[in-house]
Order: sequence, then C-alpha cells, then structure tokens
Amino acid sequence: MFAKTNDNSGMNLKEVETIVGPSVKVKGDFHCGGNIIVEGEVEGNLMCGNVLQIKSGSRITADVSAKEAVIGGEVKGNIKVSGFLEITETAKILGDIEAGIVSIARGAVFNGNCSMAKERQNGKEGRKAEERHE
Amino acid sequence: MHVYIYDTFLSDKKFARTLAKIEARITDLGLSGKVGRLGVTKKTFDLVKDEIKRGAKTIIAVGNDETVEKIVRCMPGAKTPLGIIPIGKENRIAESLGIPSELEACDILSARRVEKIGLGVIGDFYFLSKISTTSDNLKLQLDSGYSVELKRSGPVISIVNLPTADIALPEGFCFSPQDGLLRLLIEAREKKNVIFSRKNFESVFAFSKATVKSAKPIIFNDLIKVSGAIEIEAKKNALSVIVGKNRKF
Repeated sequence: MFAKTNDNSGMNLKEVETIVGPSVKVKGDFHCGGNIIVEGEVEGNLMCGNVLQIKSGSRITADVSAKEAVIGGEVKGNIKVSGFLEITETAKILGDIEAGIVSIARGAVFNGNCSMAKERQNGKEGRKAEERHE
Repeated sequence: MHVYIYDTFLSDKKFARTLAKIEARITDLGLSGKVGRLGVTKKTFDLVKDEIKRGAKTIIAVGNDETVEKIVRCMPGAKTPLGIIPIGKENRIAESLGIPSELEACDILSARRVEKIGLGVIGDFYFLSKISTTSDNLKLQLDSGYSVELKRSGPVISIVNLPTADIALPEGFCFSPQDGLLRLLIEAREKKNVIFSRKNFESVFAFSKATVKSAKPIIFNDLIKVSGAIEIEAKKNALSVIVGKNRKF
C-alpha cells in the first residue's frame, strides 16, 4: 500500500503526516496541519491544513475542510476546500461543496449544492471591488 | 568524569576481546572513566542517579537497545548527556543515532556532538524508541480531540518516539524525535499464506498526548501492564544524547 510515493493527487508520501488506515475508525474533531490520507472511517469533523486524500472504500460522516482535496470515497457532510477539489469516479458525496476549483470525474455521485469561491465568481473586477471595500 | 555502564550480558567471555579493544580505544582518546555494571532495576536507577548527582560528565551505555532503554528510564530531565557504545545484537537505537559500531562509537564520544531529543512516557515509564502491544478492544483518545478505534482484532500497535530500522515505515516517511510528538502506528498483517509475512503500517497518527483505554488489561513491551486508562505523553528535549554525523533525523 505504501509502494507508491506519488499517485494521482500528486501528493508525496514524504509530506504525509497522518494515514487513517482501513481498519481504523476516527471519531471526534480531527485536525491536522499536514497532509492526510484516509482509507478508513471518520466521524465528526475533519480539518486538514494541506492536502487531503479520501481514498476509495473509505467512509466519512463529517464536515470536511482542507486546502486541497482528492475525494474517491463516500462523504456524508459538507466539503470546503480553498484550492483544488478533485472528485474521482469512485466518490459518493452527500452534502454541499465549496471550492476554489472543482473537477468531477464521470461516474462520481454528488448530491448537494456546489459553490465556488467568491473571487473566482467575480473575476478580477470583483476582487478589485473587494479590495476597495476593505 | 565519564561513567561507563556495562550491561550484565557483557560478563560473557565472548565479549572480552571486544571490551578490551573498546577500553584501549577509550584510553587512547583520553576518555577513560569509571565503570559501573547494571544489576536489578532498582540498582540501575540508583547507580545512574548517583553518578549524575556526583557530576558525571557523560553517562555511557555499553550494550544493546535494552541497555540504552534501561538507562534512559533513569535520565529524563538530566543535563548529563547519554553516550552509547553498541555491543552485540539489537543495536537499532545506536544505528538511528548514527553510531554504527563499537569502535566508531568511541570516536563519536570524543567528537561529542550533543543533541537534545524527546522521550515518550507512559504512566511513569520513559522510553526512547517505542512501546508495542497486540491487545484488542483498545481505544485511544489523542490530543483530547478525537479517538481512534480498531475495527478488527489482532494488529500490533506501536507508539514510536525514535524510528528504528525494524519499524517498517513507508518509503520516505520519516519523523524526528526532536519534534515533540509521538507516532501511533497500527500495523496491518499481510496474508497468512506468505511464509515470511511482512508487517506494514496502515495507519499513522502524530500526537503529543494520548489516553489509552481498554476493557481488558494490556501489556506494552512485556513490561508495562495497563488496566483501565493510562496516559502517554511526548516529553520534548527530555534527553541530551551524543550522536553521530549519520544519524537518521
């Protein structure tokens, strides 16, 4: 399982801080500043300061937030990603997503609302307006 | 004064020649000092504490990983650095600290490159490398924020402070005993039909404080028996240790 150091996410295992294996269930508020790989179950809140990878076969019943995320498992909860969110073909998402950039693969199941970060919606003019407002 | 603490197994004749070589090298390097020998646990504790109190410049563990762990238990918080001269088998701690052999260890002592590293403590039992158990029905509360439960029985659970060569970490996945954190590693066994089954870690969690709870009594390292709940904590900069240039952190 650790044979590959890089995979589709572009995540390097050298930088992974936490791995939730398939035989493990995590409950509660799970915060991590580094990269996380989830292959098991998580219940509660999942906050990742960097790249989050939820692999196929994993089950998340939690609100999820991360800088970037690759989702291939089942997520029941809202997902908030400030950067790039990749939803792969094995993903099942029941909840709203909010992300800077989204990619949804053919075959993925997604039931919920999708919203993009404000600065992307408004474009450069919107950003300038926000700066003026500040 | 340097205090050399020899483990009991070194009284075996087969180590006489190695010890003679070490003692000659130590004399050549001007590192001669007092020699103490490990006895039962109580005496080890008294021996190390007394020597530190008398102002020992260095406490040097002469033996294997077990020797080092025994001495470390008596040293948390001490300003006196720990040196290691590895002899015999099972010297993975020395290897991680960049001390490859007994004669090179003497040169490393002479160079005196001191690093502060953390220790792990379970209850009042300190450890440098790791503690392990195979108990079922284990629940771990990590950093008071979340809990980790095992969905199946049987995996080896290790709490690691200093990664050593016997811990099959994923390639490139490394951590340091200087970061003030411990790692909870949960092993996944490979298929039983493989003759030499290799265990891989499938879960890794970093934490500074944890509570272990179990319905049944659990035993770590065949030494620490836990019933009910017990705390495990990372103690940052708890030990000064003399390391080699090629240390693994």
